[in-house]
Amino acid sequence: MAGWSEKVLDIDLNNKTYRTYPLDMEISRLFIGGRGLGARLLWDMVGPEVDALAPENVLIFTNGPLTATGYQTSNRFSVTTKSPLTGTVLDANSGGFWGMQFKKAGYDVMIVRGKSEKPVWIEIKNDVIAFHDASELWGMRVFALTEKLGQNNNKRNVLCIGPAGENLSRIASIMNDRERALARGGPGAVMGSKNLKAIVVEGKDRTEINDPEQFKFLLYETRKLLAASPLTSQALPEFGTVVLMNIMNNIGALATRNHQQTQFEGAEAISGEELTEKYLVKNSSCWACPIGCTRISKTDKAEGEGPEFESTWAFGAQCGIDDLPAIIEANMLCNDLGLDTISAGSTIACAMEMSENGYLDSDLRFGRADQLAPTLEAIAHRKDVGADLADGSLRLGTKYGHPELSMSAKGMEMPAYDPRGMQGQGLLYATSNRGGCHMRGNMVGPEVLGLPKLIDRFQVQGKSSFVTLHQNSSAAIDSLVICKFTNMGVADEYFARVLSAVTGIQYDTGEMIRVGERVWNLERMYNLREGFTSKDDTLPPRLLNDAPTDGPSKGWVVKLEPMLKEYYRGRGWDENGVPTPKKLADLGLAGL
Amino acid sequence: MPIVKLYANLRKLAGTKELIVTESTIGAVLNELVKQNPPLGDVILENGKLRQHIVITLNGHNAVDLNVEVNEQDIVAIFPPIAGG
Repeated sequence: MAGWSEKVLDIDLNNKTYRTYPLDMEISRLFIGGRGLGARLLWDMVGPEVDALAPENVLIFTNGPLTATGYQTSNRFSVTTKSPLTGTVLDANSGGFWGMQFKKAGYDVMIVRGKSEKPVWIEIKNDVIAFHDASELWGMRVFALTEKLGQNNNKRNVLCIGPAGENLSRIASIMNDRERALARGGPGAVMGSKNLKAIVVEGKDRTEINDPEQFKFLLYETRKLLAASPLTSQALPEFGTVVLMNIMNNIGALATRNHQQTQFEGAEAISGEELTEKYLVKNSSCWACPIGCTRISKTDKAEGEGPEFESTWAFGAQCGIDDLPAIIEANMLCNDLGLDTISAGSTIACAMEMSENGYLDSDLRFGRADQLAPTLEAIAHRKDVGADLADGSLRLGTKYGHPELSMSAKGMEMPAYDPRGMQGQGLLYATSNRGGCHMRGNMVGPEVLGLPKLIDRFQVQGKSSFVTLHQNSSAAIDSLVICKFTNMGVADEYFARVLSAVTGIQYDTGEMIRVGERVWNLERMYNLREGFTSKDDTLPPRLLNDAPTDGPSKGWVVKLEPMLKEYYRGRGWDENGVPTPKKLADLGLAGL
Repeated sequence: MPIVKLYANLRKLAGTKELIVTESTIGAVLNELVKQNPPLGDVILENGKLRQHIVITLNGHNAVDLNVEVNEQDIVAIFPPIAGG
């Protein structure tokens, strides 16, 4: 069928063998690709009896029917696994070039099972799969390894882990194309647990398109729409994502010093405006992306991609640090070590608060920019205080008797938006299937930026329907799988038309959102099977009980309970947050 | 006197990060701002109305009504279309 390669590559590292077999096209029609397809496959393969770092856990790499077609931002791919950080279903997706090359190698899905006895790296050239000894590569950092294995953006692409993944840090990322990250939830630790250092792909296949004329027309229209939108043609290219720093601070929703405050006096010094004026070298972009939001930044010590808004916040406001060069360098160091910047920054912030209160024996203190780099090295190598921080803030806080100081949901560190100033964002974090995350829907659009329309950010009643809509839409886009920024210039309707033109299956906007709802409910069922309950749909006590004492969010806490009740009802779940048999049947998920 | 703070590319167009304006309403402040800095006009307003995606806050709260009064000590922040995540 056009769009999909209809082929699965299934690798067993226990004995370094592989097999290929046809992709189940009925499952693909229902879940498309990317996150949705990954979740559906994980459901069958990894149950509650499997520890996330055991050989029985799997890494499922997926692309989608649009991948490598040349449609705008059709470069992304996903990895799905059980998270070693949260214990939930985890998918993380990334841009760059590797996803395009993986599709050109002729596969929709690559499953990696088992554990190699010795370090190994895998080389894929379409039907030729080779296993290479990686003993001499073990310990290498991401940048040097990527170069050594022959990264060439349009021809040969490298995906790998750094020291953090090797040392099983539960906040380790998988990196691709040098500085792109499958970042959140610790997929790098799963790869490290398998003694798998890298996967290199070269491909030569072309994705078949069912209706090339219609596809060409939609490419043209999408190009015009992205060029006409001030968000995708001006805002993102000119200032990058860090431009959000000042507005989040202005409205009092910028989490500061481990969420002790909601405004940071140093926000201007770490803003997108400052980054652009003093440290920007040039813009860059992923494959087939006309937006080009990537920043190439340079300090006296380093030059490379980033930082994005969330990374700048994590090492900046969250740690009380206003030294932008140090933040830029910390971001690049995370990429080189293979660490998730959000979880790393927020875990350090948690440790800073614990240390200042005497709960942790370390000299970590808010505002100490000089402590960032050595602490990141310690985390990645599990040395000194880093041995505890490597497992994330919740395990750190729990070990020393203060889990309440972990600013996480389901164990995943939350990003920059303080939900006391954005009620919908609070509900979103609490109900996200992979934990505290802004990429499973994000209420910054409607609650702050007026995208598509402004709603009252403090409003509680009725907010759950917006959250549900954003979560479903996000799951659908992640299953295509393309960049969410495209959605700022192009309506959901277009994605359905493009998917129809590529595959020949008629999808409309309603069906696309239904795909998203199906994926969301499947992920929910996975987590329930793992033992999660409605009690886990919550936030740190600080956000539920301690109102900011000044700023625009003064006096507000997250009013979670009424939103949660409304949310369960609106989703067609029972009062305990369990999808009803009728809801599952309506979504084609009967029997789960 | 109220202060107007500008962000992103509005700073380059106005040649400054902030300006002092007279007490009035949000709408009047915008008109005064554009009068002082004509290049801002095309970016902020369209036929006398706010352009889509322009965000204005008054003391950190979204200001959607241009008739809202701006008083002594107030801070009006104006953001051009921005995005991220």
